[in-house]
This record gives sequence, structure tokens and C-alpha cells, in this order.
Amino acid sequence: MSDFQRQHPVAAVSRAFGLIRGNFITILVFLFVGAQSENFPFLWWIAGGFGFLLILGAVNWWRFLYKIEDGVLHIKSGIFVRKNLYLTKDRIQVIDITSGVIQRMFGLVKLDIQTAGSSSRQAAIDAVTREKAVEINWLLRDQKSVSEDPEDVNAEVRKPEEEEFNTIKLPHKELLIAASTSGSFGIALSIIATIFSQIEPLISESELFEYLFGLLPSQTDTVMIITIIAIFVVFAWLISFFSTLMTYGNFQLDVKKKEIVVSRGIFEKKRITVPYNRIQAIHVTEGMIRQPLGYASLHLESAGYGDDKGTGSFVLFPLIRRKRILPLLNEILPDYQKELEGITPPPRSLRRYMFRSAFLITSITAGVYWGLGFNLWVWVLPVVSLFWGWLKYKDAALGWGDDILLLRSRGLSKSTAYIKKKRVQDATYSQSPFQRFRKLCSVQVYVASGDQGKSFSVRDIEKTDGMKLLEEVRKNGIPVIDESESERETNKVMLPGWA
Amino acid sequence: MSKPSFHKITPRAIRVWQWGNSIGNLFYFMIPAGYSFIFGFEGLHLWLIVAVTSAILVLYILSIILMPYLSWKNWRYAVDEKEIDLKRGVIFKTRTLIPLSRVQHVDTRQGPLLRWYDLSSVTISTAATTHEIPALDSVIADRVRRQISTYARLAEEDV
Repeated sequence: MSDFQRQHPVAAVSRAFGLIRGNFITILVFLFVGAQSENFPFLWWIAGGFGFLLILGAVNWWRFLYKIEDGVLHIKSGIFVRKNLYLTKDRIQVIDITSGVIQRMFGLVKLDIQTAGSSSRQAAIDAVTREKAVEINWLLRDQKSVSEDPEDVNAEVRKPEEEEFNTIKLPHKELLIAASTSGSFGIALSIIATIFSQIEPLISESELFEYLFGLLPSQTDTVMIITIIAIFVVFAWLISFFSTLMTYGNFQLDVKKKEIVVSRGIFEKKRITVPYNRIQAIHVTEGMIRQPLGYASLHLESAGYGDDKGTGSFVLFPLIRRKRILPLLNEILPDYQKELEGITPPPRSLRRYMFRSAFLITSITAGVYWGLGFNLWVWVLPVVSLFWGWLKYKDAALGWGDDILLLRSRGLSKSTAYIKKKRVQDATYSQSPFQRFRKLCSVQVYVASGDQGKSFSVRDIEKTDGMKLLEEVRKNGIPVIDESESERETNKVMLPGWA
Repeated sequence: MSKPSFHKITPRAIRVWQWGNSIGNLFYFMIPAGYSFIFGFEGLHLWLIVAVTSAILVLYILSIILMPYLSWKNWRYAVDEKEIDLKRGVIFKTRTLIPLSRVQHVDTRQGPLLRWYDLSSVTISTAATTHEIPALDSVIADRVRRQISTYARLAEEDV
């Protein structure tokens, strides 16, 4: 291993697919816009583009070299700009062995090597044989917590001592609910729109199309448009259903002594290992459809390493009954104080919430109603947005305990974030002129997430409460025993409110 | 509430911002220019162009004579052993607190305009965000940078 080595050639293919996945939206837009011309067939675009990516992947594979010498992993990569990455054994925190669809077809694995730094996302060896992975693992391991693939046949070679851990699985029923309520509609819709725009000339002249629309009761344009939209929505829902099923099938959460391991995926297996000391925040998201059903999803922000996009945000548990959240969190993160007293915005900020939520929609509605002569029914939208503003107001809350902050707010879905005070990167308090007039303020707290940050904010709370939050951050996790809070009892709540 | 000692930034910052705005905000005149290029100067278009141009002109002048002064007046920073406290904003007033133990690195930067006035800005990076104290006297900027990095090292040992 002290000579430079290449990966398995399959790395070229997986790299090409990785590029496609990474730039999926861009490619979609490109296809949508670029492939409109008649004289350049659609398939050629796809074939040409894929060929180009394959060549790119192959060159990348050729230029990617790695070796391990004296406990130092040295990776050389880059086509034009040569990048040398040195990872010392002592600095490596976790080695994840995973396998995607392509890797599994060839019996290969992928190695993800994580350090505390942010550059470690590049330290992935895309495709090596299992034996080589074991060898690398063995060379780089030094009584460190090495996460093992449960499927691994060579387990006894690499497992120094049996570590007992608690495994939590996602029940099938909840997986189905998660899939049917997942909100990845938008992406699915755009995929369908692209496909449809390509095949539309074919089917609109075909007899099938005529036949299908012959089935409909009346053939007015409105009915046709509604039918098309309905078909789109159903297809989008199906796509998002199955993609969620694929992503979160076989979901498993292992709670170990030093780390949490999340593994998921049916074809494309994914594994994320997070040592406890890198957890920055957890947040609970209750989606629009899921909240009335009593379900929520748990997310986690981790520093240093995250998903492919560089954010350290990932799903800790895709779907869980609201009642089960606190027991689960107690099991995973016993040192987080979960129930604490919080403050909601004062009643006078309700109108700000409603105005902010309804202003734009109302003016657009007025425009289309009088300008374009729309149906009276468009006025439903402003009413809904007013209601939405009220919901936002109801859901906004802020709370703090000895070493923890809780921020709750709603965009489209309701999100409740737990942040340790000592994990706060910065806290900002801000006032617009109107807020100054009404003695209100907004607060925003940043935590590290991946190699970027993630912010949580609450708007239009009492000015003094915002100042207090800043004071809480200032104390930085050191409890202070001066509590003289008896002025206002009006807007106190118990958080998170689903015990 | 402990009152940290806040400092103002150098008055020369006003000059820098005036120059910066007077060059940078010229860009906004491109909007009516582009519009007139597309639609010409006939009838309603002329009125629209005149209205937009004069509005931009008023804002442009304000951005030179008034805004730099106001934002200088509203800028305050404080650095102590525990945290960095930044207050700023003319219309939207914000106050940001950065615990020193979170500071990853500090550097001073100097563009050509700042160099002309012998000023530097101090940039503070945490794992999540980057903040800037703009336009400090170069000597002071250096001192602030050294102060922050010393405190940050001490705060690190605490944790």
C-alpha cells in the first residue's frame, strides 16, 4: 500500500452518475430549454451528455491516486489542478464503508473517510474491492471507532471488541406514511413536465390520447386542463412516493456509545456516522400534511461532515409519532433538556404575522381579479394566507434552559429546534423601524452545519425577550442563578408542547 | 446586563463609503438606460424613464451624502474576553453576539479604497458565519485582530 494505486475502474461510472445526481436540476433545466429544437433529437442530447460525463469520470478516475504510508492516507486528485490531500491516522474520526447501486453490481464498496475538518468530503474513495477496503480500514484504524458494515463477511477480522448498541428501525407502516406524505412534489413535477414536453407531440396525435379524452364526460377546455393537472399531480405523487420509499427503506438508527449511525436506502445504501460531540442541533419538522396526522420528522445538524451538498443537515428519523419524539430523543441525547418554559410573541405581533403572510398574496389576487377578470374564488387565497399567518404566530416560540435554547417557528412546516448554548456560533437580534415602534424584535441563531451554517430564527417577539436571548447566549452554557421573572405571565408556554 | 465598552469605527469610513457608493451605485442607472434602449423615449415610456431616473438620482445622492454618515453613526463594536458584540444598521438595526470560543479565525483585509485612507476591515469567521468590522484604522484593526485572537485562544482553553 505504500505505492500509489488507482481505484477500481467502475469509479469512473459511479463518478459520472454522481455528477448527474449532483447537477440534476441543472441538467433538467438544460434538457427542458435546450432540447426544444426539432432538428436535434432529444435522445442525442442525452447520449452525448452522458458520454461526455463518462469521459469526465474516466479521466477523473485516471487522475485519482491514493496510497497509505506510515499511517498517512495520501490522495492525489483533480484533472488540471492537482490536489494533494493528506489524512493522518490520528485525525481520522470515522471510516464509513457504503455501497451504491453501481458499486453493488460489481461487488465493490465505497470508503468515506471523515475528519473534523470540512475538506474531508473529498476524501472518499469511490470504488474499491471489499478486500482492499478492509486493508485500508486496517491500516488507518488505531483503536478508533470504526463503523462496520453489518453485511460484512470479514467482520471478525476487523471487529476489535463487540460494541453493544441499540438499534431503532422504522416500522413499515410509518415508512408508507412517510412516503405518501413526503413533500418532494416539486422536483417530481418538474421531471414529469420535462418528460411530457418531450413526448407530448407523440401522444397528442395518437389515438390513445383521443380515446382517453373521449372517456371524459364533457370535453370543454377547463375539464381537459383540470384533468391534465390532476394526472400530473398523481404522477408527481407516485414519483415522490417511490423515491421516498427507495431513500428511507431499510432505515435503521444505531445508537452507540460514541456515535449515531444512520443507514438507509433500498438500492442505494447510505450510511451516516455522527459522533456525539459533533451534533450541533436537532430539529423536529412537522410538515403540512404530517402535522394533522400527528407525525413529525427528526433532523440533525452536524459539524464538519454532512451530505454531498456540504450541509451537515440530515434526517435522523424520517417519520415518528409526535408522542414518541421525546422518548426517542431521551434515548439518543439524554443530555439535552427537552421540556422547558418558553415565550410566545405578544398578541400585538399577530397582526404583523398576518400582514406579512397575506400582503403579497392579497395584492397579486387583487391584480388578477380586477386586471385579468378571474373568478371570485381566487379570494380564497388571501383568506388562506391570513390563516397561515395566524398559524405562524401560534407556532412561534422561544425558550431556554440551563444550557439549551429552543426556537420554534413555521415556514410552511412547523420546526422546533433544540440548540445547546455552547454550540451557538452567533446570535443576532434585529429590529425594523416598525418593530422599533412596537417594541418588538426578531432573533436569529446560527449553528455550524457541514462546512456552512444553519440559522434558526423567531420573529416579532417582545424586545426584552430578544435581549434576554442574547444574554443567554452570552452566558454560554454557564448557568446563572439570578431569576427575577415575574413581570409578564401572559405569553408563557410549555415547550415543545407535545409531551 | 453587563455593559461592554462599545467603540465607534473611524470617521474616515464615511469617506470610503461615499466613494464606494458613488461608484458602485452608478450601476442602478443602467436600469432606466436599458429600458430606454429597449422601448425608446416615446409617450408613456418617457414619463416612466424620467420618473425612475429621478427616483434613482435622489436615492443615489442620499446614498452619498446621508447613508454613509448614518451607518457610521450606528456602527458600534465591542470585544471582551467572552464575546464580540456588533451593533449596526440604519433602518434595520441589528446586534450580533459572537462567543469568542466559537471564533475560528480573524483576519484584516484592505482593498484599494481602504488602503488609500489607511484603513482595514477585520473579518471574523466562525464555523457558520463570517462577520466584518468595516473600516478601522489600520493600526487599530491590527490591535483588534490581535486582541480577538488572543481572547479566542484563551476562550478555547476554557472549554
